[in-house]
Amino acid sequence: MQSSLEQKYDFEIVRWFTIMAVVYLVVGATVGVYIASELAWPFLNFDSPYISFGRLRPVHTNAVIFAFGGCTLMATAFYTVQRTCGVRLWSEKMARFTFWGWNAVIVLAVLTLPFGLTQSKEYAELEWPIDILIAVVWLSFTINFLMTISIRKTSHIYVSNWFFLGMMVMIVYLHVVNSLAIPVGLFKSYSIFSGVQDAMIQWWWGHNAVGFYLTAGFLGIMYYFVPKQAGRPIYSYRLSVIHFWALMFGYVWLGAHHLQYTALPDWTGSLGAAVSIAMIIPSWGGAVNGMMTLSGAWDRLRTDYVLRFLIIALAFYAMSTFEGPVMALKTVNALSHYTDWTIGHVHSGALGWVAGISIGAIYHLMTRLYHTEMFSIRLINFHFWTATIGTVIYIVAMWVSGIMQGLMWRAYDEYGTLAYTFVESVDAMHPYYAMRAIGGMTFLLGAVVMLFNVLMTVRKSVVSGSLAKARAVPAVA
Amino acid sequence: MNSLLDHFETDWQAMTTNDWIGTVLTVVIFLLMILAYFQVFRPKNRERLEAKKHIPFDEDELDQD
Repeated sequence: MQSSLEQKYDFEIVRWFTIMAVVYLVVGATVGVYIASELAWPFLNFDSPYISFGRLRPVHTNAVIFAFGGCTLMATAFYTVQRTCGVRLWSEKMARFTFWGWNAVIVLAVLTLPFGLTQSKEYAELEWPIDILIAVVWLSFTINFLMTISIRKTSHIYVSNWFFLGMMVMIVYLHVVNSLAIPVGLFKSYSIFSGVQDAMIQWWWGHNAVGFYLTAGFLGIMYYFVPKQAGRPIYSYRLSVIHFWALMFGYVWLGAHHLQYTALPDWTGSLGAAVSIAMIIPSWGGAVNGMMTLSGAWDRLRTDYVLRFLIIALAFYAMSTFEGPVMALKTVNALSHYTDWTIGHVHSGALGWVAGISIGAIYHLMTRLYHTEMFSIRLINFHFWTATIGTVIYIVAMWVSGIMQGLMWRAYDEYGTLAYTFVESVDAMHPYYAMRAIGGMTFLLGAVVMLFNVLMTVRKSVVSGSLAKARAVPAVA
Repeated sequence: MNSLLDHFETDWQAMTTNDWIGTVLTVVIFLLMILAYFQVFRPKNRERLEAKKHIPFDEDELDQD
């Protein structure tokens, strides 16, 4: 029965995206470790502008968010929509266009960003021709997903597909509006927005890239892969429905909390902070829903390393969706803004939640896509601990350095003079930057081990012929 | 702000078309959220909604069609 799935569904495209996701995880994390090391040991800049922090930082963010995250989302979305709807992808050709188009975007990002070709908009750095390509490729992904749902055999659309679809629709809207620009050359354009409106649009995009791309999309993964790996249905389907609608309606308000104490009207920041606090409720509802799926079967965590990744990811999701709203509050923001605390917060979400849930889903997918067990369970266990310990080292270093920075910047003496120069605060950060680099290296080590394990599993499948056998068996009529 | 009421003071005359569109949308979305909560947590709908959580485990059935 299992073998006939190869004929019934288009798993080939899922395999391509899955392998590339792991490759990009290693690439993105490697660049991240390098730039973290540059901050700790500046000689690593080698006086070359092409590998300076400013040029490589967007390469790192684009690689981990759009290359690794995008390939993971596309692999899991194409897999779950087929399995939960009981039909093959609507268009194989369109899916292949999505794969090659998305990879072309990534290659173009690597070719332009180190040369300083950028719109200087965070998480939207790529110049206008690449932005157009992103829009076209993302639309092909969305249309294919939507049309697959439209030809489904089931009457109900399972909730994971709601989250994927919500992400797709919102990213089209956010990406197109934020990228509106007037080109003045092939590699230069100016945003149609200016001043504070430009900042507001940028952070409306910026926070919703977090809210819809890095949260809603990966919650789609959670709602399918946690129950499947645990072998138990989601704890409460009703809670998942509320989680979805509250997330869709709530997240779009939050962007202004990135612009506290700026030229933005004060009430806008207050509104952003108030809705941020309100968002703790649906976020924790979702996290509890995922974790409680294990209710009565917690012992599985002792032996199932893939499940460990999925559940620890939910713990990080709960932690970062509490920390974020707290940082949005004006009082806390006065200390935390512009400091490394923000970097720590982002990485508890990115490494703990996004990477954790992705890695768990990819390990789950590998056995189904290659019709064999993983090459080494021990290596998955090793990866789990390196990923978790690396993440904790990273975020603790950034919490300490961030709070220290905030306190040093605003300390003043009895004459009202600043107690520390900026350079003194930079100097004080050195041990924490070194610690952050070590945390990143530990995480990267796990990612490299994962790539090795994944490639060896593919080899195992080829040598044993399990995939070839699965392809050869005719579909059940 | 001296009193709680000051927080809710609005210069209605100064409201632009954009302000009104935003206000109406916000109120409509708020009401829709209340409706969603009501529908989802209504005891009558519990069984119907919770039955959907088994969809990922119905795959074997779907795969054979």
